[in-house]
Amino acid sequence: MGTVLSVKNLEKSFKTKQVLKGITFEVRSGEIMAILGPNGAGKSTTIRNIMGIMYPDNGSVHFEGHTDLPRNIIGYLPEERGLYKNVKVMDMLLYLAELKDYPAKKARERAMAYLEKFDLKGKEHVKLEELSKGMNQKVQFIASILHEPELLILDEPFSGLDPVSQDLFKEEIRDLANQGTAILLSSHQMNLVEEMCDRLFMIQAGQKVIDGPLDEVKAKYSNFKCTIRGKNQLADLEGIAGVQHVQQQDDVNILYLGKDIDPVQWLKTLPDHMAIQELRLDRISLHEIFVAVATNKNLITKGVEVYA
Amino acid sequence: MRNALKIAKWEIKRNLKNKSFLIGLFITPIMIFGFMLLGSIFGGDDEDTGTNVYIHDEIGVFDTVKETVASSGVDWKVKQTDISEKEALKKLQDKEDTAYLFLNKDTLNQGTVNVLTSEEINAYFTDQLQLLQGPIQQLQAKELGLSDTQLAAISKGVAFQETQAKDEAGSDLTAEDMLQKIVPIIFAGIILLSIVFSGMYIFQSASQEKKDKIAEIILSSVTPGELMQGKIIGYFVLGIVQAVVFLIFAVPFAMWKWDIPVASYVLVPETALLVAIAILGYLLFASMFVGIGATMADMGSAGQFQGMVMMLPFLPFIFIGPVLSDPSGLIAQIGTYIPFTSPGVLLLRLAVLDTWPWMQIVISIVILIVSIWIMMKLAGKIFKVGILMYGKNATPKEMWKWIRA
Repeated sequence: MGTVLSVKNLEKSFKTKQVLKGITFEVRSGEIMAILGPNGAGKSTTIRNIMGIMYPDNGSVHFEGHTDLPRNIIGYLPEERGLYKNVKVMDMLLYLAELKDYPAKKARERAMAYLEKFDLKGKEHVKLEELSKGMNQKVQFIASILHEPELLILDEPFSGLDPVSQDLFKEEIRDLANQGTAILLSSHQMNLVEEMCDRLFMIQAGQKVIDGPLDEVKAKYSNFKCTIRGKNQLADLEGIAGVQHVQQQDDVNILYLGKDIDPVQWLKTLPDHMAIQELRLDRISLHEIFVAVATNKNLITKGVEVYA
Repeated sequence: MRNALKIAKWEIKRNLKNKSFLIGLFITPIMIFGFMLLGSIFGGDDEDTGTNVYIHDEIGVFDTVKETVASSGVDWKVKQTDISEKEALKKLQDKEDTAYLFLNKDTLNQGTVNVLTSEEINAYFTDQLQLLQGPIQQLQAKELGLSDTQLAAISKGVAFQETQAKDEAGSDLTAEDMLQKIVPIIFAGIILLSIVFSGMYIFQSASQEKKDKIAEIILSSVTPGELMQGKIIGYFVLGIVQAVVFLIFAVPFAMWKWDIPVASYVLVPETALLVAIAILGYLLFASMFVGIGATMADMGSAGQFQGMVMMLPFLPFIFIGPVLSDPSGLIAQIGTYIPFTSPGVLLLRLAVLDTWPWMQIVISIVILIVSIWIMMKLAGKIFKVGILMYGKNATPKEMWKWIRA
């Protein structure tokens, strides 16, 4: 898998506030790279710097095999997006393909195929203002992939989509990656990203927090946690073997454990006098890591020293 | 440049498919010429119904009066009558725009004329009556026994002969020469107006880009500069389309109504210069509008600054009065050198002046070209930042910041 895009040490300030503090990552062909982070972390700013819509104060954006921004091989779905309202769907798609220098005949064929795939068959001569918001988003997505881009950049592709459309988008993005397209997407919907990305790059306040292949990140950070409902003394819980940290809220206690415990053995170590109405033992999800990063909570004491 | 042309093509196609653009395209000339036609129809009616003036002549001046009326161009129909005042009053009951004059001994002796008019009468009738003073006074003088030479001296009155120094050169201009000069300028004026109006569409088109939030998608394919150029070129072509449609109505109309051989007047080298001035005017306003349009999310909430900029194309109208009264005067020259007014004022002056001030034309064209270049640079900077700013209109202070950046 060749590197298509490499971003090195990107820095950007607005007035006196530095919003990007040295961002470095790569996107390779055939893989889905996700930029994750809470609102205002710098995801869209990073993407806009890549797209040449903004210029970084420092650092570089390099496209393999090109000296300039190769606009025609990039598909881009911005966060702030829309299409001309009083224009017909097919005219809009063909115009955007033409701007990418994609042959009109091929663009028309592909547009028809995609419209059918996205349940918009027969809408090609309907004006965009007559379509629902969800349909509009589908057309925007089609526009970004119509010209068979080598690099697809999607800024919050799932925002505002219903679950059915989300699945449709997810499938299509996965297919494109399998066909060799390099995909960079940003999102704050961790569950969706967790299911599909190959690598991730989590940023908070313009800085890298976690990055690496999804499996590695999961293995590295996915400690066990045990959620217990019932009235218990905090001291009792903290005394249990393997417990690193307890979070108590009313009757619910969350016990954070190491990642190497043996679940069966550990359950056997629970004291007899404990009040348990419900008990759940599972791994910390990316979602929780994300929330922890976003709220600066120290959920995990070991393992994530990076941002401690 | 190729991308700019693609955008230009798109803007042209999109507008030509747009119903409101098409309606505007044809309605404007139809309305203008429609009203002119209506005006001439009603004007024609007026000619038929001049004031009917019946003269009861007892002193033998009817022929003189008729001659005087005919040579003065007053719209009277003079007829002789011999009915009495009583009968006349009766007849006037159901008449419009009719008068009876009674010229008799009293007229000669006391200088009074009894005039009976219908209830409705031409508003200028009383003034027009003064025409008869001449012939009647002449008759009075004759009755008093003045000799013909004395008579001639009195009736000649005093004439003031005015001579204006600079009018001399132009005094031998015939009406045809005038037309020959004015027609190409009207031609260029129509082009200037059409493309300035289409320049205002640019404004809308640039802010549409923001309103529909498509700017970032377009800018992932082209540079802001290309997008801006594309719009300027596209709306230039649309302006030409508007001008052509207008001329399709105007040329046959002028040929039919005033019998002007428009084609032979327009096809002169001067037209090229005039059209070039019009195009320069367009480029100036178009680049300004495209920049300002990019700072506005929607037209409805245009700030004062943006509103003022919108009014700039109409600035030359302020100069119409002063320029017409003194086409070489100071105000006219100032107007020639201000870039926003220079295309309009220049066209107007060239229409009025007999000899073209070539030096001033050259200077003003140079000023125009330099200002277009500066305006395009500024617009480019404003456009680049403004087009990506969502949700609010930019203030002049912000724009200044972008320009300096």
